Amino acid sequence: MTFGLANLANAAGSTLAQAGFPEPMSTPALAHYLFLSAVLFVIGMVGFVTRRNLIIMFLCTELMFQAAGLALIAFSRFHLHHTGQTFVIFVLTIAAAEAALALALVVLLFRKKDSLSGEEWREMQG
Amino acid sequence: MGSCPGVTASCGEHSGRVLEQLTHPFLLFLGLAFGGVGLCLALPRKRVNPQVIGAVLGGLGIGIVLLGLGLRNPEQLPNYNFYIFGIIAAGSALRVITHPRPVYAALYFILTILASCGLYLILSAEFMAFALVIVYAGAILITYLFVIMLATQAPSEDQLESLAEYDVESRSPVVAAVTGFVLLAALTTMFFKGSTTLEAPLAIHPDALLAQMPNKVTPEKVMRSLEREGTVEEGESFVALDPEAGTVTVLGLEGERVVAIPDDLGVKNVEAVGFDLLNEHPGSIEIAGVVLLMAMLGATVLSRKQVEFEEEAKLRQSRALSAEGGVFSDKEVRP
Repeated sequence: MTFGLANLANAAGSTLAQAGFPEPMSTPALAHYLFLSAVLFVIGMVGFVTRRNLIIMFLCTELMFQAAGLALIAFSRFHLHHTGQTFVIFVLTIAAAEAALALALVVLLFRKKDSLSGEEWREMQG
Repeated sequence: MGSCPGVTASCGEHSGRVLEQLTHPFLLFLGLAFGGVGLCLALPRKRVNPQVIGAVLGGLGIGIVLLGLGLRNPEQLPNYNFYIFGIIAAGSALRVITHPRPVYAALYFILTILASCGLYLILSAEFMAFALVIVYAGAILITYLFVIMLATQAPSEDQLESLAEYDVESRSPVVAAVTGFVLLAALTTMFFKGSTTLEAPLAIHPDALLAQMPNKVTPEKVMRSLEREGTVEEGESFVALDPEAGTVTVLGLEGERVVAIPDDLGVKNVEAVGFDLLNEHPGSIEIAGVVLLMAMLGATVLSRKQVEFEEEAKLRQSRALSAEGGVFSDKEVRP
């Protein structure tokens, strides 16, 4: 059992960073980050489907954006290339635009029916 | 027992492979099943609501998967900070979708953002970590909180603690949790198997990008930084800069010698991201600006205009107008 402890001690002694920046990150370490990203995405997706409050539904889309950003940053670190981080800037842009429009819509819809329930608008289907 | 060492070694290798094939999908699917059941239990519902049990089961499930992932490659674990920030991120994300009160859900979402900022820092993306705090936790979430306060019914005097009906009951939690975790299982098996085929890139020198930034490393700047660091003496002169190797060649009294690039001239994360953004994607950043402008215009128009959706309201208004002879008169003002 020396491997785990030695590695942990090594990690504790080193800096915050996942190995020094120019050193490549191993694929198993990348898989950890991708798994966390997938977990966040699925939690956001399940939340979007199950919750009935419009505001929380849009909060869940932000959660999914967050998961995508984490995967992009992890791949950027893995490939030692900065384009992944640049794409997170664009993800942030889209998230901000989406939040502004969605929240304006929520305020508009709330004025109509005095309720934040998504099911109040079920006549809008098809 | 007359087993020769060679056979034992191959036997051990074989049994190890079998063990991996047996334990890996088993651990994975067991953990994900725990996670799905836990998420399903944690979602808000009306009658008995075992949220704590659900959260514990979900955490156990994710823990089992991470344990399996770690045991497969014990010498290549991620930084231990990953586990701290990852647990905070996943736990608060779970609380975002299970908390019945929208304000608390938004606050837990800020916690998720801060934990992901920690993960970004571990992954050496310092600029994006701070941009995330400023843009998400500072701007987007404040907008969410404002809208939650604007668009919530004022509670009546006798039931201040009451929740809206749509916040208490979630919609088909079982189907959603099963679908979500089937998706998660598919994704996880795919990249558990697929990530081993990914070729790890070769190590590069952190200052290799300097080759594309000639204005940042003029000979005068390099020599001034080297003198400030104390690595060169008076009278030595600049010969060449090799960003790939991270070295500077200087000509001194005893001939040429090679020193390291000074620290304050090295490429920082902000410089690298900015260089990549403006050098590789100059068109995209213009489009991003247009998208933001359009969203701002759209949001302003949407939230200003009082759109009449109901035909009845329009009819009522037109009837009222025609009954008064087509002239709108306000009796309060002009009696």
